[in-house]
Amino acid sequence: MNESFSPLSRRTFLNQSGVNLGAMALGSLLGREASAASALQDEISHFAPKAKRVIFLTQSGGPSQLELFDHKPGLKEWAGKELPESVRQGQRLTTMTASQKQLILPGITKFSRHGESGATVSEWLPHTASIADDLCFVKSMVTDQINHAPAMTKFLTGHQLPGRPSFGAWTSYGLGSSNRNLPDYLVLISKMKRPSDQPLYDHYWGSGFLPSQYQGVKLRNAKDPVLYLRDPEGLPRHLRRGMIDGIGELNRMRLEQSGDSEIETRIRQYEMAFRMQTSIPELNDLSDEPESTFELYGPDSRRPGSYAANCVLARRLAERGVRFIQLFHPDWDHHSRLPSWCTARCRDTDQPSAALVKDLKLRGLLDDTLVIWGGEFGRGVAGQGKWDSPEAGRDHHPRCFTIWMAGGGVKPGTTYGATDDFSYNVAENPVHVHDLHATALHLLGIDHEKFSFRFQGLDYKLTGVEPAGVIKDILV
Amino acid sequence: MPGKRPFTSGFASALLAIVWSGMASSGTEDAPVSFSRDILPVLSDRCFHCHGPDPSHRKAKLRLDLEDEAKRDIDGVSIIAPGDLDSSELWYRLVTEDEDELMPPPDSHRKPLTESERKLVRRWIEQGAVWGKHWAFEKPVRPPLPDPAAHPVDSFLRDRLAREGLEPSPPAPQHVQQRRLSFALTGLPPAATIKPGDKTDWPSLIESLLASPHHAERLAMWWLDAARYSDTDGYQGDRERTNWPWRDWVIDSFASNKPFDQFTIEQFAGDLLPDATPGQILATCFHRNHMTNGEGGRDPEESRIDYVIDRVNTTGTVWLGLTLGCTQCHDHKFDPVSQKDYYSLFAFFNSIDEDGKAGRGAKPYLDYQSPHAGHALKEMEAHVASRQALEIDALRSAEARFGKWLKKTVTEHSPEYRAWHPIRPSEVTSVEGTKFRVNEETVVQAIGPNPRQDDYRIAVPAPGEVSRVSGWKLEVFPHESHTERKLSLGKSGEFILTNVKLLVRKKGLSQVRDIEMKGAVADYEREAKGRKYGKVRDTLDDDPRNGWTTESGDSTKEHTAVFELEEPLTLSPDEELVFVLFHRSTIGDANIGRFRISVSGEAGETVRGLKPSPLEDLAKALPAKPGNLDGDLRKRLLSQFLLDDTDYQKARTTLDLASRQLAETKKSAGKLGVMVLAERKEPRPTHILERGVWDAKGSVVQPGVLPAVLEWPSEKSGSRLDFARWLVSPENPLTARVVVNHLWQIVFGSGLVRTPEDFGLQGEAPTHPELLDWLAVELVENNWDIQHILRLLVSSDTFRQSSDTTAALEERDPENRLLARAPRFRLPSWMIRDNALAASGLLNPSIGGPPVNPWQPEGVWEEIFMGGKTYIPSVGPAQYRRTIYAYWRRSSAPTFLFDSAQRRVCEVRTRRTNTPLHALTLMNDTTMLEASRVLAEAVRKEQEPLQSLANQILSRKLDEREIAVVLREQQKALDYYQSHPREALTFSTIGQQDSPPENDAPAIAAWMTVASLLLNLDEAMTHE
Repeated sequence: MNESFSPLSRRTFLNQSGVNLGAMALGSLLGREASAASALQDEISHFAPKAKRVIFLTQSGGPSQLELFDHKPGLKEWAGKELPESVRQGQRLTTMTASQKQLILPGITKFSRHGESGATVSEWLPHTASIADDLCFVKSMVTDQINHAPAMTKFLTGHQLPGRPSFGAWTSYGLGSSNRNLPDYLVLISKMKRPSDQPLYDHYWGSGFLPSQYQGVKLRNAKDPVLYLRDPEGLPRHLRRGMIDGIGELNRMRLEQSGDSEIETRIRQYEMAFRMQTSIPELNDLSDEPESTFELYGPDSRRPGSYAANCVLARRLAERGVRFIQLFHPDWDHHSRLPSWCTARCRDTDQPSAALVKDLKLRGLLDDTLVIWGGEFGRGVAGQGKWDSPEAGRDHHPRCFTIWMAGGGVKPGTTYGATDDFSYNVAENPVHVHDLHATALHLLGIDHEKFSFRFQGLDYKLTGVEPAGVIKDILV
Repeated sequence: MPGKRPFTSGFASALLAIVWSGMASSGTEDAPVSFSRDILPVLSDRCFHCHGPDPSHRKAKLRLDLEDEAKRDIDGVSIIAPGDLDSSELWYRLVTEDEDELMPPPDSHRKPLTESERKLVRRWIEQGAVWGKHWAFEKPVRPPLPDPAAHPVDSFLRDRLAREGLEPSPPAPQHVQQRRLSFALTGLPPAATIKPGDKTDWPSLIESLLASPHHAERLAMWWLDAARYSDTDGYQGDRERTNWPWRDWVIDSFASNKPFDQFTIEQFAGDLLPDATPGQILATCFHRNHMTNGEGGRDPEESRIDYVIDRVNTTGTVWLGLTLGCTQCHDHKFDPVSQKDYYSLFAFFNSIDEDGKAGRGAKPYLDYQSPHAGHALKEMEAHVASRQALEIDALRSAEARFGKWLKKTVTEHSPEYRAWHPIRPSEVTSVEGTKFRVNEETVVQAIGPNPRQDDYRIAVPAPGEVSRVSGWKLEVFPHESHTERKLSLGKSGEFILTNVKLLVRKKGLSQVRDIEMKGAVADYEREAKGRKYGKVRDTLDDDPRNGWTTESGDSTKEHTAVFELEEPLTLSPDEELVFVLFHRSTIGDANIGRFRISVSGEAGETVRGLKPSPLEDLAKALPAKPGNLDGDLRKRLLSQFLLDDTDYQKARTTLDLASRQLAETKKSAGKLGVMVLAERKEPRPTHILERGVWDAKGSVVQPGVLPAVLEWPSEKSGSRLDFARWLVSPENPLTARVVVNHLWQIVFGSGLVRTPEDFGLQGEAPTHPELLDWLAVELVENNWDIQHILRLLVSSDTFRQSSDTTAALEERDPENRLLARAPRFRLPSWMIRDNALAASGLLNPSIGGPPVNPWQPEGVWEEIFMGGKTYIPSVGPAQYRRTIYAYWRRSSAPTFLFDSAQRRVCEVRTRRTNTPLHALTLMNDTTMLEASRVLAEAVRKEQEPLQSLANQILSRKLDEREIAVVLREQQKALDYYQSHPREALTFSTIGQQDSPPENDAPAIAAWMTVASLLLNLDEAMTHE
């Protein structure tokens, strides 16, 4: 998507202005419609990259670490007792449970250790458990937001207020394209049949103050997989081709007259649009996938729009060199009835997530693809509702949650960080959302400290102003 | 206080020197260095982070933002010794080879000074290190015109060009000038704004465009982006609000050319003016246009604090050109604004009578009835009346068809007719292990084991007797093998069905189709409110916390549920149906024990209820004659017939949509609650919020203005009204500059200050500082007359010159900062849409009124809210309103606006990008295609269709080379459509346009491709 970049004008600009590119220059360069991307790479590629792309499996709503990964057998003793203030330490609650006594609900699932690494994964995620030795679990994630929209915005953009570029936008801005027929950053959202309590706002994959070509492009399960992709009915391909030829020829005549290189860019964008009209339907057409694919990803993968089908698409996008592939699966907000509600989301996602990792590995793509699985926060140890009823759920909890990563230079078969006996506070090696971003950028070959964009007079970074660091211990 | 020192340095000469850093050479070696232009930006960028106004990050107790501090001695070492380079520690630290002493430190990630920057610092110290204030904080003084005889704008620009050795460009061709002017002042092409016979001398053109109501809309679009105006809250739920009367207030204000100071005062404090009118109160909605957050678990006080913060930041950006946001958490690192200053501003907005809530509870409101809704209502009533007439006609002809059908049906109908066909499964499987037996009557019996939860998958080859399925029926039976002879093997004998799915799989294809269901009914369901088990309808969501159970009823009897499909399904013989029954309830142990599935192809009441179908009743009534049929049965048969009558359904749907829209318009024409400002009785105390955290209250502050910008007596800084007066005080150094810079950006594409949101130390310096100051003074001295400034800008030769460029000029001034040619830039996306509407004549030019829904692809809102919100494009003339009236949902801006402002927080800088997604939008958007279709039909009969098309779209004729290309493509299209007339009809039936007569379709379709081609030209979407 960065074909608009014209090396000549950029060089001209740099020679004349004599200022650093990483920040100020770009701001103005972009002001004149030119865009710079892949050429940036020399400036911001600071290490040899391990990962060339990211697949971010976003579990929206806040999966429960207590039911899925963070085994706390000691909590049995505490069942129904009030959470000690020494543990809670004034932690804020949402207004949903602020007036309720914090009575402990021990994790309701069975845990076992899996693989040679002996990672603990619960019975609700049997497929994930089966690939434990390929995964790196980070059990000490921390955020500072307790409600969905700010927490997800923080998780994905580094700041709780909307308006900053998303992680994916930063990545596509920094690394540029390696596929001439597809956008660099694609977003796939599971289709669900109930109105979601947590809408998936497009600022989650927005470009903020970065130019809009870096924003995520939603790949929809609809007649128009990308907005406006389909030509109108009754217009055959050869006429579309002719129209684009005609537009190109007339634009070129205008270019001769005006000398504005932006016209050149526009001609190329129309060509790319034409190519996308073929490449995206091709991508979406799974008829070339063998039966074994669907067996691997599970029966839901046959249903377009499902999380499982999107996992298949994610692998196809990775094969095509797309930089940042982000899946969203909504409805992990389990304030009640864990046994029915949470298990439903586990069944949607467990097999396909694991299948994706296996599949990437099988195809040799896992080494340079960073896979991240996780949501915006975790859930609290106190039961919401009557703690000893099957109806009980859990409220939001920002102080600790679990994510996993795979591939892309992350050490497989590891568990990093730990929480206290209540899965309430981080006991060891806290990893703030910013640290996760710093680490992911590092794997992509980017120093998060140097990777900035000047906007409104400030050099903005994905990792913000508070100190953030790369988690060295989980790197290969 | 150093900041108060008179500005004596080389400021005057700085104004004459080159300001653009890219143009290198700051005059000759001995020319005086300007502190504000050359030195302060370097200090700010490289030093202030650790040695600036913010004490929390200050290193070595050293600050370089204050003269006294920077020039003092520390332990006998001078930081800056004026005139004495060797004694200046600062200089040593900038040039030393010692990495431990070098500044900025290599590990700070701040770029070291460039060679030319070092030279400037050296010369500055040598010349006596004369201190000064940042340029934007000095009150602008009107500089003399370099050439008093010339137009003021040209005077400054040409003077600068001459010094750069550059020539201005010749005037642009007349059609380009007119087009440029029309877009700049109205956002519409000349085709819509200049009528044949109008005076076209330049001054008359300017006056007529400034007088056009569309001029006010154009300026309002600028202001709406800055005001983050939206029709919804944003955040969770993204609830609707009805603040659009404020949008019309903005349009009215620009239409009456309300002076900008008054415009400001009313928006900040209209409610506080003596005898405030409703209009003045309405104005204050400006400060309620921020997002509001209604998320369940959120503390409303935290939200309220967010809103106040948003107001302060918006004020900073829009009026002051300052990035105040940073000082929410700490003193500004670069600009002289402290955290205390920030909360003093905060205090002006802290006592609004609001409580942080969102949705319809976001008080205070103004009860307001808009005078602008009337025309929309009239328009809609007329539209509904016309659709009603069409529906009546359609019904009449459908009834004739029904008569024939009934006659035939009555003679052919079998007395054995059954609406429902039991299906025979080819396979019944389960996920968790339940086994099944299927009997002769196709009844399926679960025979255990009985897992806690299970999903049943029932596969059926396309049932031979029904090729169409519009609904399916699930019968649940008791059985002696069940607990207490009830309905399941579970402990209670009851069942809970949490979800159902219907999938269609074609042989040989790996993917399946997921069939949507519209509704479900049952003969019995447990009463349930909210997410409890009971209602059968709840089996249609993906939520296992609710679903169908008959638990409270007689569970020794059979029970039936009927499911209606969203659309009737037509099956081919190689397709297979898969029904999935989910039993995933919380406690579980409630899987259905015995059941049967049937399908029906009948529409309407058959699949919406459990009674015998009309056709079944007809079978019972046989032998009957159409004439002696029971009236009620006939009515039922007719309504079922109509459901499948495509022509009637089209007319009906059109009417329903129109009636629905009319009802909404009526609502809009009544009393509305508009969010406005009002003070609460008890003012809230304002605290500094530590680190900007909402509940970390620090010391108390009083309302107060920014002293570094303009000192102001404290007795005049108590209220919002005082604050507004401070903003537009003639003494305020920032506001007028910031505003004229916005106007410059509207006319020339980029501001004189290219960071319109930041006039602070980290912002860019103006390209033409004298001109900026001259215009700022001109604005204030002319009573803040916006049109006066716009008139000045567009009457200059600079505005009218050609935008063509040369390789040499590109090399010399790639960003066109010197304006040796007119800027050439893409029109904002909203203008591109308006242009298509105007050029085609589709445009509905009415001003103001409730928002409308332009075409956009299906399902966009539905995806965000998982079906919770539906976007229905407007029908009738409302579809063709200007884009400013398009409904703005914060979580999903109109899809056509591919790189517009986001309207989440205020935005004042133009976004412009160039991507394939724009190309796709402009090629395939319905508005663009409908405009092409209308144009095609209009020009087809003209003498020179192609040239009149070009004239409408490009305001000029095509030359021969262009004609050859376009006619080649037109011929190609014509050839195709003549041999494919059906395709021509399909292609040309778009938007609200009816199909053309069959004979005309190929020609119209071919011209349509040409119109679309021209609308997609770079020229068509560019301010040339």
